[in-house]
Order: sequence, then C-alpha cells, then structure tokens
Amino acid sequence: MRISDYIEQSFSNLWKKKLRTLLTIFGVMIGIGALVSMFSFGQGIQDNITNTFNELQLFNYVSVYPRSENNHAIPSSEHPGVPEQAGPYSQILDDEFIRDITETEGVESAFPEVRFPAMIRFNDEEKFSLVQVLPADVCQSGLMKLRAGRPYAPADSNALIISDSLLRRMKVKEPQTVIGQKIVISTLTVDLSLSNIPNIVSFLMGKGLPFSRQSYQFTIVGITEKMGFVGPMPVRSDVFIKPAESNDMKKLSLTSIWDLFQSSQQAKGYSMVNIKLSSTKYIEHVKDKMEDRGFRTFALIDHLEEMKTGFMFMNMFLFAVGMIAITVAALGIINTMVMSILERYKEIGIMKAVGASDGDVKKIFLFESGAIGFLGGVLGLALGWLVSMIINQVVNYFMVKQGAPYMDYFSFRWWLVSGAIVFSILISLAAGIYPTMRAARVDPVVALRHD
Amino acid sequence: MNSDSFVKTENLTRIYSSGTIEVVALRNVSLSLDQGQFFGVTGASGSGKSTLMNLLAGLDRPSSGSIKVEGRLISELDKDELALYRRHQVGMIFQSFNLVSSYSALENVAFPLLFAGVAKKERNKRAEQMLEKVGLYPRKDHRPFELSGGEQQRTAIARALINQPKILLADEPTGNLDSITSRQIVQILSDLNKKQGLTVIMISHEESLLDEFADDVIHLQDGKVVQEERIR
Repeated sequence: MRISDYIEQSFSNLWKKKLRTLLTIFGVMIGIGALVSMFSFGQGIQDNITNTFNELQLFNYVSVYPRSENNHAIPSSEHPGVPEQAGPYSQILDDEFIRDITETEGVESAFPEVRFPAMIRFNDEEKFSLVQVLPADVCQSGLMKLRAGRPYAPADSNALIISDSLLRRMKVKEPQTVIGQKIVISTLTVDLSLSNIPNIVSFLMGKGLPFSRQSYQFTIVGITEKMGFVGPMPVRSDVFIKPAESNDMKKLSLTSIWDLFQSSQQAKGYSMVNIKLSSTKYIEHVKDKMEDRGFRTFALIDHLEEMKTGFMFMNMFLFAVGMIAITVAALGIINTMVMSILERYKEIGIMKAVGASDGDVKKIFLFESGAIGFLGGVLGLALGWLVSMIINQVVNYFMVKQGAPYMDYFSFRWWLVSGAIVFSILISLAAGIYPTMRAARVDPVVALRHD
Repeated sequence: MNSDSFVKTENLTRIYSSGTIEVVALRNVSLSLDQGQFFGVTGASGSGKSTLMNLLAGLDRPSSGSIKVEGRLISELDKDELALYRRHQVGMIFQSFNLVSSYSALENVAFPLLFAGVAKKERNKRAEQMLEKVGLYPRKDHRPFELSGGEQQRTAIARALINQPKILLADEPTGNLDSITSRQIVQILSDLNKKQGLTVIMISHEESLLDEFADDVIHLQDGKVVQEERIR
C-alpha cells in the first residue's frame, strides 16, 4: 500500500465515525493542551528569570562581606576541627576598600550594599518600600536604566530616583510628570528623647516599640525602567538616594532581624560591598583576591547550576501533571481503536481475503490512531496557546494594576510547538499498538463468517 | 493423477482442536485440477467444503498434506507470501457476498488494488471497467445495501477478478439468491471459464447447477471425497 493511501484511508475511516472520533480527539486535545500550557508556563518563568538576570547582568557581580566573628567556634568545612580564622589581611569594608577594589582589573564599579526600609509619601499616597543607597558615580555609570529624568550627580542635594512601578502603585498615571516634584521619605528611629515619652512609656509597659518617625524631603530627578537597577541580588529597590543624604538621616540601619545580632561586632564598615565586573571571566580572579584578603564572597553565577536543576525539577513536575491528562487521552484512544476493530471485524477478514498482509492491516489501524494523535496534537496546541494567552492577559491585567511590569508568563518555543505534535502522534501510536496487534491477529476464516 | 496439474492437493487434512476435542474437518483429500477447468464441490453441511475452499484460498493452513498451485507449494508459504498469493493468484466470492458495507460498489471492487499498491486514479479506472463488464457501471456509487443480491454478487465477482487471478474460488455463491439470479451468476462464472480460461472452483449444494456447468464434481462427506464425477 502507498503512504498516501494509508493516510487517506485513515482519515476517511475516522470520518465515518464522526462523533466517536471527535470525542477521542477532544481527549487528546485536552491532554496536549494541558501539557503545552504547563511546559510553556515553565519555560516562560525560566525565560523571565534568566532574561532578567542577563539583562541586569546579575552574573557579573561579586558580593564581598566580612567573615562573621560569630563563626569562630564553628569548624570550617575545609579543615574539620580547626576553627576558621580571619585572614591576616582582614580589612574593613569601607570607602577606602571600595576605591582600592575599583582599581583592580576587570572591576567596573563597586558600591556598598545599603538598603533601609522607609515609608515613601507622594501626594496623598504613602507606601512602604526599601530605599537603596547608591553613590552618584555608580548612578551615573550607566548601570542605572532610566525611563525619564537623569541620574543624580554628586552636587545634587536631596535628589532621589524612584521606580516606575512604585509610582504606579501610588496611582501616578504618567510617571514623566513627576520629575522635579517633592517626595517625602519617613524613617523609623529609636527615640529615647523626651518628645517620645508616650511611646517609651508604652514600650516599658510591654506594648509597642520606642520608635518615632523622621521625615525628609527629596526631589525626584529620575524614574527607572521596570528593572532599573538591582545590583547582585534579584531584589528590586524602588527608591535610590545618595550616601550623603542617607548618612544625615536618622534611621535604623537594618534590613533584617539578623542585623540586630551583627551590629555590636561590626561597628565599622559596610556589611557588604557589591563589585560589578566588566565580564564574567574576571569572577574567579576577583573572588580569589577577596578571599585572600579574608573576605567572604558570593557570586550568583556559582548558583547557576542549582538554578538549572531547580528549573528541571519544575519542568518535570509540570510534565508529570500534563502526563496525567495524556494518559487519560491514551486510554481513550485504546478504547476507540478496540471498538473500531470489533466493529470492523468482518472488514478485516475481507482485507485479508483480498490480499492484505498482517502488516498492511496493522499499518491501516496505526495510521488511524496516528491521525487521531495528529489532529489532537494540532488542536491541543491551539487550545494550550489560547488558554495560555487568556491566563496571561488576565494575570497581567491584575498585576499591572498592582504596579508590576507587564510580562509574558508563557513562552512558546518552536521545539514546544513541533514537539507537542510529534509527542501527540507518538503517544497515539503507542496507544494504537495493542488494538493494532489484535487487528492483525484476526483469523480471516472466522471473520468472513462473522455477521 | 497428473503430476504437473494446475492445482494439486495431496492427503490434505485439516483438524480443528478445541481443548481436548479434535474435529477432523478434512481427511486425506487428494485432488488434481487442470488449468481452465470448472470444478464443482458438493456435499452436505459440515462435510468440509468450506474448509477445502479456505485451504485452497490460502486463508487457512492444512494440519497435514500439501497444496500445490502451478507447482508452487502453497501449504508451505509464510504469512506474507500467502497474502501475496491471495492478492494475485486467487479471487474469492462468498455466499454472503462479503462486501464492505461502508464502501460504494466502485470502492469495493477497487479494494484489492489498494493492497497491490495501485494509484487511486488507476484503481478507479480499472474498477469502473470491471463493473462495466458485470453490467453494474450505472450503480457504481451505490452502497451494498442499495443493491439487490444478484447485483451484490456481481460486484463481488468484479472485485475477485480485479487483480486478474488465475483461479476463482466460489463458496456457495448462489446460497442467498433466488433460482433465476443463481443461474445468471453461475452463467457469468461459466462464461469467464470458457471465454477467458479462468479456472473456477465452485462449492454448491445445488447439484443441478453443478451438473449443468461443471466439468468435474466431487462429493464430500465427513471430510472425505466419497465420489468423483467427470461430467464432460
């Protein structure tokens, strides 16, 4: 038999039982649709994360922080039993260190990691946010991607850069219009002065904390793009100010409870310095140098493999969920094919009587289940795409309202599109194996007597 | 018996076993047919006529004994070779016509050509010519249930001849037909035999038909040949 005849025969035979064929194809369609949307979701998340990392050049950063003196009693992993010692060149992470490290080959810039929580007030809206302290030269170096305005200069006083998304959350429709306007940062500070007596009294009575608010006025000079600036950590800051202003502000300089335990031992220096390298090839060199000087280092690129493993596990989980639907669809195909063979029992006998070999009979039925797989695969792909698009639009509608940037949560790659159809056909062929064997085994003598 | 016979069976035996019970359907049947013969097989129900037909058609295999067609040992062929034998050497017609009910007359006639790998255009052309020969061209697009018994059997004959076989096996071809139609059908077989030299082997329990058209007739009883008649 010719291939074109197999194809024509399979479609015409399926067409004869329209309802049953359509129901079976719907089963495959739902299975493939589920699998496709699961995969495209997994891929979409992966793409968003890796693209963001690459866009922000997160892999080009090394963070340096001092060895914790609390670790003295803990044996290091390299030398079990020997307490870890701070290196002989152990230094403090201060401005001098930053100037020094900037001279190193491959280092583009270095800046301390300083962030503090604050309330941001603009017009009548007040939002909680992390304020990142960023030197003017880093801000001007091009690392900061601005949508409007300009980076602040060393000479600017009380200049501030704010993110597009925070402005949206503060119900600003056109971010460009806020350039030059005033904005207020309120910090919390431990205040034991007489003016804070009500809070101190309630603190002593076991309620609340002896905090008071301090407000500082800034002028907005720039607005960042959706991922304006991050530094080495994938944590976005929404407000940036210069160190000079930050130093003048009364605030609790801690971003986590952990800092409370650290503060007594680190009276001087920054808790972390971020180093931006011109290329990832300098990472090892800079890390070694820093570790020789007694610092600890962190580079996100070292965790790339772990991230890839994580993505793989996520994909496997999504695949497993999709496979449940595929398994149900495959059972549907087996059922349909077995039914079809029982109905066409006599026809199989006739085929054999007029000269069809067992192989011909097998192929006729395999092409039929393959055709179900092909149609189910194509329709499933369309369904998966449609559902993904709808979910994407709905999620984005709410997320953009919340100030999050628009993003595609689903990613359709060519390999997903072609893979889905090929996979659907393969599953259907596999489901067709048992019915096909039954068809080939039909005894023509018995089948021809059959009514 | 002639050693270079066209169709020759030797001690053909077919035993069906179901569990421990064995049923001998055909026992030591030895036949010899010349090319172009119209050969009749008769006998009561269960005498082994259809078993003999299925063995000659290559649809079934003997338990022992041999079948030779044109000197070729059919009983030793593997499954695929048997399929080729059925496709090119023999055509079959049946009591119940055995047409595919969802196909038109044309599609039924063209069906064997599908497995022979003939292109669709050529299949349809040849099937139309064959339907023309059996006088059914105007009814080519009708489904079997829209045709009379005689028309269905003529369609089946057209299908059996489409691959130009050398032997036509007819298993009770008139069993479902009235006497006039029966005669018409057997007349067609006889014409094919006389005009085209087609070897016809026909099973029938209507001995009058065999007496009228067949050259030789054998009588089967309990799987054995009990009588051989040379009519002409």
